Amino acid sequence: MDLEKMKQDAAALLEDGRANLVIGFRERAGECVPAFVTDADQADALTYDETCIANVAAYLRKPEVRSRRPVALVARPLVMRSLVLLKAEQQLTDDDVLVLGVGDDAYHGVLTLAETEKLLNDQYARLAPDAETLAEIERIEAMSPEERSRFWSEQFAKCTRCYACRAACPMCYCERCIVDRNVPQWISTAAREHGNYAWNMIRAFHLAGRCTECGACEAACPQGIPLMLLNSLLAREVRDAYGQTPGYDAEAQPVIGSWNTDDDEEFIR
Amino acid sequence: MKLLDASKLDELAKTLADAGYRVVVPAEDDEVVRYTEWTPEVTIRTDAFPVNSAKDFLFPRSEVIDRYELQGDDFVAKDVAPEAPKTVLLAVRPCDAQALAMLDTIFNWDFEDELYNAHRQATTVVPMVCTEADAQCFCTSVGGAPDSSAGADAMLRPADGGTKFILEPLTEKGEALAEAAATALADGEAEPDPPAEVPVRFDPEQVRAWLDENFESDLWDLLSLACLGCGACAYTCPTCHCFDIQDEKTRNEAVRLRNWDSCGFGLFTQHAGGHNPRPDQAARWRNRVMHKFSYIPERFSLLGCTGCGRCARVCPAGMAMLDACVRIEEESKKAPAHES
Repeated sequence: MDLEKMKQDAAALLEDGRANLVIGFRERAGECVPAFVTDADQADALTYDETCIANVAAYLRKPEVRSRRPVALVARPLVMRSLVLLKAEQQLTDDDVLVLGVGDDAYHGVLTLAETEKLLNDQYARLAPDAETLAEIERIEAMSPEERSRFWSEQFAKCTRCYACRAACPMCYCERCIVDRNVPQWISTAAREHGNYAWNMIRAFHLAGRCTECGACEAACPQGIPLMLLNSLLAREVRDAYGQTPGYDAEAQPVIGSWNTDDDEEFIR
Repeated sequence: MKLLDASKLDELAKTLADAGYRVVVPAEDDEVVRYTEWTPEVTIRTDAFPVNSAKDFLFPRSEVIDRYELQGDDFVAKDVAPEAPKTVLLAVRPCDAQALAMLDTIFNWDFEDELYNAHRQATTVVPMVCTEADAQCFCTSVGGAPDSSAGADAMLRPADGGTKFILEPLTEKGEALAEAAATALADGEAEPDPPAEVPVRFDPEQVRAWLDENFESDLWDLLSLACLGCGACAYTCPTCHCFDIQDEKTRNEAVRLRNWDSCGFGLFTQHAGGHNPRPDQAARWRNRVMHKFSYIPERFSLLGCTGCGRCARVCPAGMAMLDACVRIEEESKKAPAHES
């Protein structure tokens, strides 16, 4: 991957004012962490490799970042899909962001959202879901309901309700999340079985048909809860039931939350 | 000298469990190492930094503090006895033990917290000297050390090149524990291994001096830009102690709960009328730094940070208290606090 070209592009975007902020990655003590570059002469600190798992599209909901638009983002294909999906959900326009596209050992240069959508469809239309995750989903589906319930109870028992999963997810952009609605309190905020189950299940449901399977939530979870099992399961259900994979079409209607009068199903009319 | 073969930590835990202790150890759980209650099934791991802090066992993430029952037309308050089993925090990190001074102080400041004190009194603290540190460790910058015995009832010291542990009792509780563990220990001599080298990264006094002059600074905006506003740092921090009170009820019973809360959340200071005195992440992150390095030192002559580095290890956004302090110290050297 041409890292030098990416640094040059980032510097040029900041230099000529096409972007006020570049969000990419830097190395910190052997780890990859998000980097915020506002001056062209800092662009040299940018780096990228496959361990850079954070989905920096999550920053686009942050007022301090929105006020700096246009913003350029270093994005791998799954993050590009988040951006296209955010556009489809009316959260972004072409003027808000530019993409420094990275993927499959290639650097794709500076892309507009429209160009990003085209690149995804041309080159990354068939992103295979993580085989390990799919195998684990099969294992869990083969369990009896009691075993499965016990499995998830054990997983959710670890949850401290820090909401790092929500924070790391670009699709969790609600100004007031249902768990923060406290008049009345809809979901118990206590890090106990009942509330933990409700929180994790509701978050998974709210992402059905909207998750691009970037894996940032699972990577963010300090407690190691396998959140992608839920997200990938629902993504698979949406693929099977509706033939849709989110983040490839900026004109797409949301799978959950849209309807039409020609629907085959009687109950919808 | 009371000695234990390094391979027999499990046996020590078992002996203590048999003696009636709830034994908390760093153990592996689905690829994550966390402090957890020892059972014969757990694998003790002292080589990795646990994701949670030892505070979990003194100030649980959710605790029932009151209970009510509907009897006829009246709600009747029921006694809530603290569930505080005799506990040993075994092979915890010295920075976790050091944090207890902070928690002891805050939970006995303007109010003596019965529940915390019950847990605390039932707890024996046995830290293990760190012989390895990682890039996020900075205990030596905040008055700690990889071999600090602050807050300890007994110390476990790796010895003879990691082949043995020396168990050194320091308090009555520590003596009682050593006695309970007697069958797992042998008398003998061993040479303690050198503690980890943890370089001093900043001077907290310098940081505090800058903080006291720079509540309003453009630097906060920059320092907090990466923060996504979750509670991962606060919930794994050994000294963070903020909580939220919630009432939950079913048809015939109500409980009042004390749940962890974090100043990183937007809701933390949200007023009922809609105003939020900390309206953005810059104000929230500023509070986090101020609390640990200015407000707590001012009130209690203690630091609110023990340099464990968990905040940096768990942060999905690459934020780190260490980095913030280093940056603030740099800033303070650039523009010294004005003299008046």
